[in-house]
Amino acid sequence: MEENKYIGKSTVRIDGKAKVSGAAEFIDDLDFGPDLLYAAIVESKFAHAIINKIDTSEAENIPGVVKIVTGKDFPFRFGLYMHDRFIFAQDRVRFVGEQIGAVIARDAATALKAAKLVRVDYTELPAILNVEQALAKDANLIHPELRHYKHVPWFFPKSDTNIAHLRKVRKGDVEKAFKESDFIFEDTYTVPRYAHCAIEVHGAVGLYDNSDRLTVWTASQSPYTQRNLFAEALAPLGLSHKDIRVITPFIGGGFGGKAGVSMEILGAALATAVKGRPVKVLWSRAQEFYNTYQRQGLTARIKVGLKKDGTIIAMDNILNWDAGAYVEYGANVVNAAGLSASGPYNIPNVSIDSVCVYTNLPPGGPYRGFGYSEFLFGLESHLNEIAKKMKIDPIQLRRKNAIREGDILNYGGKMNANGLIEAIDKVEKEIEWGKKETSSDPNKAIGKGIALFWKAPAMPPNASSSAFLKFNEDGSINILISGMEIGQGLLTVMAQIAAEVLTVPPEKIRVETPDTDRNPYEWQTVGSHVTWGCGRAVESAAIDAREQIFDIVERALGKDRKSLYLENESVKSKTDNNFSLKLCDFIIAGIQKPDGSYRGGPILGRGMFMPEFTSALSDPETSQGGHPNVHYTVGASAVKIEVDKQTGKVKIPKVVLAVDVGKALNPDLINGQITGGLLQGIATVLYEDMRFNNKGKLINPNFTDYKIPTSMDIPDEIVPIIIEVPQPDGPSGARGVGEHTMIPCAPMIANAVDDALGIRIKSMPITAEKIALSVKHS
Amino acid sequence: MPIIHKFDYLKPKSLSEALTVLAQSKNAAILAGGTDLVDMIKENVAQPDLVVDIKGLDELNQIKFENDTLFIGAGATFSDLIESKIIKEKYPVIFEVAKTVASVGIRNRATVVGNICSAVPCMDSGPLLIAYDATVQLAGQKGERKIPAAEWFIAPRKTALQKGEIVTGVSLPYPKVKHAGCWVKLGRYTGEDLAQVNLLILALSDGTFRISFGAVVPIPVRAKKIEKLLNGQTITPSLIEKAKQLIEEEIKPITDVRATKEYRIHMAKVMFERGLDAAIRRLNGNGQAYGTSMI
Amino acid sequence: MRQEIKFKLSGEAIALEVNPNEVLLEVLRDRLGAKSPKCGCDKGDCGTCTVMINGKTVRSCLVLAIEVDGQEVVTLEGLMDSGLTPLQKSFIEHNSFQCGFCAPGMILSATELLAKNQKPNKHEIQEALSGNLCRCTGYTPIIDAIEAITK
Repeated sequence: MEENKYIGKSTVRIDGKAKVSGAAEFIDDLDFGPDLLYAAIVESKFAHAIINKIDTSEAENIPGVVKIVTGKDFPFRFGLYMHDRFIFAQDRVRFVGEQIGAVIARDAATALKAAKLVRVDYTELPAILNVEQALAKDANLIHPELRHYKHVPWFFPKSDTNIAHLRKVRKGDVEKAFKESDFIFEDTYTVPRYAHCAIEVHGAVGLYDNSDRLTVWTASQSPYTQRNLFAEALAPLGLSHKDIRVITPFIGGGFGGKAGVSMEILGAALATAVKGRPVKVLWSRAQEFYNTYQRQGLTARIKVGLKKDGTIIAMDNILNWDAGAYVEYGANVVNAAGLSASGPYNIPNVSIDSVCVYTNLPPGGPYRGFGYSEFLFGLESHLNEIAKKMKIDPIQLRRKNAIREGDILNYGGKMNANGLIEAIDKVEKEIEWGKKETSSDPNKAIGKGIALFWKAPAMPPNASSSAFLKFNEDGSINILISGMEIGQGLLTVMAQIAAEVLTVPPEKIRVETPDTDRNPYEWQTVGSHVTWGCGRAVESAAIDAREQIFDIVERALGKDRKSLYLENESVKSKTDNNFSLKLCDFIIAGIQKPDGSYRGGPILGRGMFMPEFTSALSDPETSQGGHPNVHYTVGASAVKIEVDKQTGKVKIPKVVLAVDVGKALNPDLINGQITGGLLQGIATVLYEDMRFNNKGKLINPNFTDYKIPTSMDIPDEIVPIIIEVPQPDGPSGARGVGEHTMIPCAPMIANAVDDALGIRIKSMPITAEKIALSVKHS
Repeated sequence: MPIIHKFDYLKPKSLSEALTVLAQSKNAAILAGGTDLVDMIKENVAQPDLVVDIKGLDELNQIKFENDTLFIGAGATFSDLIESKIIKEKYPVIFEVAKTVASVGIRNRATVVGNICSAVPCMDSGPLLIAYDATVQLAGQKGERKIPAAEWFIAPRKTALQKGEIVTGVSLPYPKVKHAGCWVKLGRYTGEDLAQVNLLILALSDGTFRISFGAVVPIPVRAKKIEKLLNGQTITPSLIEKAKQLIEEEIKPITDVRATKEYRIHMAKVMFERGLDAAIRRLNGNGQAYGTSMI
Repeated sequence: MRQEIKFKLSGEAIALEVNPNEVLLEVLRDRLGAKSPKCGCDKGDCGTCTVMINGKTVRSCLVLAIEVDGQEVVTLEGLMDSGLTPLQKSFIEHNSFQCGFCAPGMILSATELLAKNQKPNKHEIQEALSGNLCRCTGYTPIIDAIEAITK
């Protein structure tokens, strides 16, 4: 095989200079001129209440107020997978902070001041603040209209309950298998809600100009999905897709929080209320916490049946998700997790109920890991407990049951080629598993923990990608895509993919962030799938361009196209060593024939990718029959911790993560995902969680009390291990890796704490306080 | 997010000018670093009609050591304390405290005096000042006033400051005998955090101790019962145990979003024991360098 | 009461009328077009609004614009008179930043550190950056890039 020249190399980021020089523009950096208006939001004080009356008269009298809108101005439902939301609350509010109306003013201070003067008269309803309350018999219904909601065909809402969706998986004969089990272990694990905490808050600026064109600038991972949802929601106003343009500059972190449509709908809707003038909605840090998507809470009851030798033959999991007030996106987290909640194991008999439960807390939604972090906390903790009770080494137990290529997945499909065993072996060696270590400090104990992980992109079966590739006069290239650069390095990797095909170095390729008028379609940048899907589109655009190049050379110069190849930005011939034609000499101008006429013209490659083998059609009672997941990325991670028995504080001398990326297109960027994902995951278990009071109000909507780690809270040593078992349908064999580096962290730490102290903590987070008090009480 | 509240601003050139405008205004706020005040104005917690910026008053910006007393002026920032030679030499525990206050960008603005004027229970300067038997120095139109730090704090966010007064600085008398100290602060992680428990211990070569707690009390306190128990005694494990038993009598922790009451009590004991050990070791010349966290 | 202030912004003499309640971050961004300092939390916790006043980093979200009368303010834009600094180049080489939103503040904090201490150890680097939150990178590639030019 020929050595790759650009693929597999740790190219420096093509957006590196923009980012270190301050040139990179984010939503709030864009200028909109002196007629820019600002919107402030009137928010619900209650977690659950009927809105009786909204009095805007006092606010209207404030000088500088341009317009005040409320739910009655936009009685339109919307949502990604289920239409359960309104742009503004209509008759009822369902979480503290929900948008009831907006004040649009000349300046932000006036808008904020006036928004405080909008009087809302409520009748408070009992708030449902956890899944137990929501699932109780005779529980109040948060969405009495649930039966009428439009949703994707793979959702199964239960009318007249608070269950928005139930994903049922039934594989084999679980009941029989438990009877045949030598050991059965059952336990319950809980995970609270978490916040993404991108350092940039959400923002949107809308302009509905006097020619009826709506442009919305957003901080988003999903420009096309936004355009589609804006068009759906605002269709009653006569807007069509072609009239709507979404422009997404660089975004300051996404992590799933900027996927789909959350507050951006306000930018689009408010623009229609002040035609001809741009209007900006920018979330405060507090709003960022309580009115965007949150990671859903989970109560997971896990039951495992095993034979004496440690073979897992049965698993029965019930996952109850606190999905919040609206689940238009979050229900798909529940769905995806449900399909895969048996973990990366080959288990013949599986029963999973993944239950999406409405509560009066803020809407749940996508967060890096998409449900897998949550169920893996319980599952991987539980496997260690089982290993302990059965006196089997926890790694041996995992290796014995690890899923392998061709094993049958929960929905009946076959597991893809993967390097899970290699990952287990490598982290086992690197962390020196089995070598007991003691601290020189008598107050401290050292423990090691491991967790395996897997995750598939969660996406509709027709989530497609496309790309344009344009050559410039000097042979440099612009690539147009709508995959979002959210920090992962997409622009760089797309340049590398095109570079490899066209022999043009990445530094001569510019790839920028999307504008739906100019850049072709991409479903969303979520699910660790854009390197794979958008990468295939870019690869095919590059190949398309190359074929056009060969075509021109053949037509103009009579060269046999079969003999042509590209090298060092030139066309060469295998049969004529003297032939060499620089790309820059003809990719715009064409090739001149002896008669003075030209052949060819601007080279414009086009690429498209659709995962044609996927389908979400399956039996709702069993999930058998479809092929919802394109592939799983797998791996293993292990950690060594030093825990202070008195203070409960945990230090991490070493952490190792091995992930099978198929092919590392840019190893340095993958290491970046590993380093960053690990810390984000470690923070969810050691430091962070969202705290609500008994009225459903978030009490830590700030970095003062929602503690995301600082540069002083990092592991001493991180060992990233890249494994490459190619994904046959991926670009150069690559598959996604963005989320996977975060998801093993919680159980891995929980297992290390147990190893160090003999204490099993079954609820996240595992803070210093929780550890210290557990030690004290043990 | 813009500040909605409107106010006037003045940067006086002399203390007397500052005092004059303070006397004339209804609801003036003193601005030094602004790290508390500007945030409080943004949140509408503070609504001054006039903001008096004292950064122009050179006499308040000093850190000086005279007559065996350290003066920290109202304009001196935590970064100034960290960089001060006098402090490193004579009051290294102040260096230890300052290093745990927020992060560099805040420490470059925030002041000790601002910290004790905000007087939130989790402040770090309170335990420091009362352990050193410090004096708060005030200037008003009627003249100067000196208040022992222990009497300065009245309740959370409430101090002995009277209308029209400016805190010009704090004075920390140098203990008369050889001594060493240790500052222990509990945060939720190693990075910047507001204290859930903090305590300062000074061990003196005459066998006495000064011990102060913050964050687990509405206002910082000296642990008088513990001091009495330990003073003049040989520190033995059983004596430390007795002292730890007294901690619950000295503090009044609450449960909030940062920590439970139970953990605060538990940690106050752990931190006391480690801090005491560290202070004694430092006194004996075999302790860890100042700035090393004991937890 | 509106007042005129005069200060240096990245070397340029500025004279500007401001209201006392205008925050430095907003004046720099919205009135003077210096967009590198960003608003991340608006209360001094995250460090994205970092600028230098008289060589020291501050949270510009907690500084009133009127306070910088007579002072020297430098934003990231002001570090690049002769192109990218060695520190910035090292950050590019190390792929230190992902989304890049924290980068301007992080770079100013690192610049302040290196002005005081040319050979910081890893702990000193971590301490100097600890007020600048980054959610993407896990900090390691940022620390590595600083270590690389100080070794």
